[in-house]
Amino acid sequence: MSQVMIELANVTKIYGQGEKRVVALDNVSLKINKGEIFGIIGLSGAGKSTLIRCINKLEVPQSGTITIAGQEITKLKGKELRETRRKIGMIFQHFNLLSSRTVYGNIAFPLEIAGAKRSELKERVLSLIDLVGLSDKISAYPAELSGGQKQRVGIARALANNPEVLLCDEATSALDPETTKSILGLLQDINQRFNLTIVLITHQMNVIKEICDTVAVIEDGRIVEEGPVVELFARPRTPTARRFMKSVLPTEIPAEIKERALRMDDRKRGGKTVRISFIGDVAGEPVISSLIRKFQVDVNIIHANLDYIKNTPFGSLIIDLMGESSKIEAAMEFLKDRGLKLEVLNGVEPTA
Amino acid sequence: MWNLLLKALWETLYMVGASLALSALFGVPLGIVLVITEPRHIRPAPLVHKLLSTIINIGRSLPFIILLVAIIPFTRWVVGTSIGTTGAIVPLTVSAIPFTARVVETALLEIDRGVIEAAQAMGATTGQIITKVMIPEAVPGLILGLTMVAVNLIGYSAMAGAVGGGGLGDLSIRYGYQRFRGDIMLLTVVILVAIVQGLQSCGSWLAARLNRR
Ligand SMILES: Nc1ncnc2c1ncn2[C@@H]1O[C@H](COP(=O)(O)OP(=O)(O)OP(=O)(O)O)[C@@H](O)[C@H]1O
Ligand SMILES: [Mg+2]
Repeated sequence: MSQVMIELANVTKIYGQGEKRVVALDNVSLKINKGEIFGIIGLSGAGKSTLIRCINKLEVPQSGTITIAGQEITKLKGKELRETRRKIGMIFQHFNLLSSRTVYGNIAFPLEIAGAKRSELKERVLSLIDLVGLSDKISAYPAELSGGQKQRVGIARALANNPEVLLCDEATSALDPETTKSILGLLQDINQRFNLTIVLITHQMNVIKEICDTVAVIEDGRIVEEGPVVELFARPRTPTARRFMKSVLPTEIPAEIKERALRMDDRKRGGKTVRISFIGDVAGEPVISSLIRKFQVDVNIIHANLDYIKNTPFGSLIIDLMGESSKIEAAMEFLKDRGLKLEVLNGVEPTA
Repeated sequence: MWNLLLKALWETLYMVGASLALSALFGVPLGIVLVITEPRHIRPAPLVHKLLSTIINIGRSLPFIILLVAIIPFTRWVVGTSIGTTGAIVPLTVSAIPFTARVVETALLEIDRGVIEAAQAMGATTGQIITKVMIPEAVPGLILGLTMVAVNLIGYSAMAGAVGGGGLGDLSIRYGYQRFRGDIMLLTVVILVAIVQGLQSCGSWLAARLNRR
């Protein structure tokens, strides 16, 4: 049974008054389980930063409660708040490192603040530097580091006090795709190694696809959709979710294939062009070969793509089915029974 | 003549040095309070901020020569005398404090807010944020700012002659101007220019040296 690590209940945050009033969070409720990587995706201005900043009380919501590991952070003040914050690491889009301190000094900073002993401090800092792979940059200043290296320092610093939660505010948005991949890899690694709960906000769907277990879609300060990432990809319910999905998955059918399907219709050869979409384990099953064997239809694969959402395969296959129409119908039933989503691209049957 | 010059140089250095140290002692904390009490900073306090800001503005708008005379009773109360080199240090300091506070404010406002926020997120106290984040991050700006204060003080110290404070400016006026000693006038000016140049170069060099950004 998964244990809830962070819970937001009816959180509302409003900035400004009168004409300038902006409802940044509108009655948001969320549950984030211990040890999961929880992604929050939304367009610019949707309220992502506000949401994540409420979690460590950098912003104070007008109403609602936020509970972390059973402790209501929205109630905490002064010393108690500071002590709780030490158990919540945070990394930022623009890294926010101390420019006057070296890599070592930056990672030592949270430990100094928490009053760590000198001897322990050094050992801890060195092991963190090793963890993020920056041993050769130990006395470099942030200005001498690349974006990816700076974020590694940010991650090491955030982990210094053994937090239970790591908040990532657009942690990869300032990085190129290669560096993004390596930073996401590092986050996934520490998530598994330390069973760390990670809350990650982003406007990039590939980040969600790469490492998140659960995702919430935020729009105009409201959570419009929430669930396992695989679910969202399989059955996006809102237009926003669909739009985000399209940005990483080629759900569009190539024009040539559409045309080809129509031509095939014209010739009335009795064949059908069908798109099969699948998610999860079916990808590993020999569906196509059973199809050919069982129904005596000819299968011509004309387009295929396969991708992974975290570790779940996801993709689509466009095939021509040729043979007697009753056999084609039966073959299609068979595919539907296997839990595959079918779309006929030619003829009258409308596409979903 | 050289004795006169040497004595005047020492007086100038003493006045400027002492009032610089004292105005930093009061001006730096004031500048810090000014910054942290700003609306979205670490200790927002609009009333304190407004009050302090107004007092500083008033202080900065008073002409030095008027301040010098106006605070004579205060000077006497603080150092026991209102004349002489020591007597000049009090008005110099009082006039430099508001300027120092503004200069410090400017330097501290240049720090990236994100860095301060990161420290807050890590559970740093207000004191830790000031001493471990704001001041170290603002060191180059603070050095440049204090250099500016020092140069200003050298200028003002020339007026200290009005209260018998001595110094190079005073020497230049009394001997150079009033007794037509062109050589002394020229020399004092040369020395003053050299001091200002040297100070500014040192300040700029140090600031650049310590800048890690
Ligand atoms: N300090 C503030 N004062 C006033 N309004 C604010 C403040 N911070 C955010 N807002 C407003 O609240 C809304 C949500 O902002 P937020 O920064 O949470 O969005 P976001 O989803 O993080 O956007 P982005 O992707 O651009 O970072 C926006 O309309 C923004 O203008
Ligand atoms: Mg944001």
